[in-house]
Amino acid sequence: MTATILIVDDSATMRALVRGALEADQHAVVEAPNGEAALATLAGMRTGVDLVITDVIMPQMDGLSLTRALRDDPRFAATPILVLTTEATPAQKERGRAAGATGWLVKPFHPDTLRRTVRQTLAERG
Amino acid sequence: MRLEKEILLHVGAVHASAEPAVIKTLLGSCIAVCLWDPAVRVGGMNHFMLPQGSSNGPQDDPARFGVHAMDRLVGEMLKLGAAPSRFIVKVFGGASVLAMPGLGGHIPQSNVTFVREYLAREGMRVAAISVGGTLPRQLRFFTETGKVLVRRVVTLRTQERILERETEQRQIPGEFGDVTLFRSRRT
Repeated sequence: MTATILIVDDSATMRALVRGALEADQHAVVEAPNGEAALATLAGMRTGVDLVITDVIMPQMDGLSLTRALRDDPRFAATPILVLTTEATPAQKERGRAAGATGWLVKPFHPDTLRRTVRQTLAERG
Repeated sequence: MRLEKEILLHVGAVHASAEPAVIKTLLGSCIAVCLWDPAVRVGGMNHFMLPQGSSNGPQDDPARFGVHAMDRLVGEMLKLGAAPSRFIVKVFGGASVLAMPGLGGHIPQSNVTFVREYLAREGMRVAAISVGGTLPRQLRFFTETGKVLVRRVVTLRTQERILERETEQRQIPGEFGDVTLFRSRRT
């Protein structure tokens, strides 16, 4: 199952690593460098995306604010959101869950683990 | 005279401070990147090397652990109110200590190449760089002023200790983060 996936991360290198992992599974990838840019990108898309993968600590709008903004928007309320971050404590994960994230992946990520998690998340969405 | 807090940074560690502090480290083939935001006087440093392999086997790209070290440093800076557009970037390390017997200059050079490529890709301009050579470097980074003092380590015993520590460190495979899915699976 291939999907359109939005990657939100302030590091161009990190976006390239995530893009490389996802394109190996034939997913189409769209990128944004922060939460605000991600919302603008989504607003400009006709069909939206099947999945969002977002970093947490970013300038302008962080990943958890982005997650809350998407959950408040009926168009994206059901879009799966995977958080991909260096933040690893249970308290931080709980904040992600409370914001409405679907899952939490701690960096550094292995490409196989990311692909497997994406496949599982897309399959659960149906 | 005000006494600044001193932090000793070991390999694999990251530290950033919004309070005046001195971040110290000792580098052989490893790399340390110092970031400083003059507007908010926040400074941070990492200290890393690319591992030989990863917990998933040697075929995996060790550069991803360098990316991780940079990612953590930038993240700690942002948490303290720094802005990447204002970063003053200084890069140190990558020495071939005691000629790294049997390894030539490959290991330190790969660390240097990685960090140069990373910074170029992120559009981070390097204000100062001191890499390569054969002598380890002792760094003192003053987070209040952004100033970095570099001293070459000439004592043979210290050089041997650094080489031994870094050789051991390089054998430790890189570890990946875990995955948590919040929603229960549909049946």
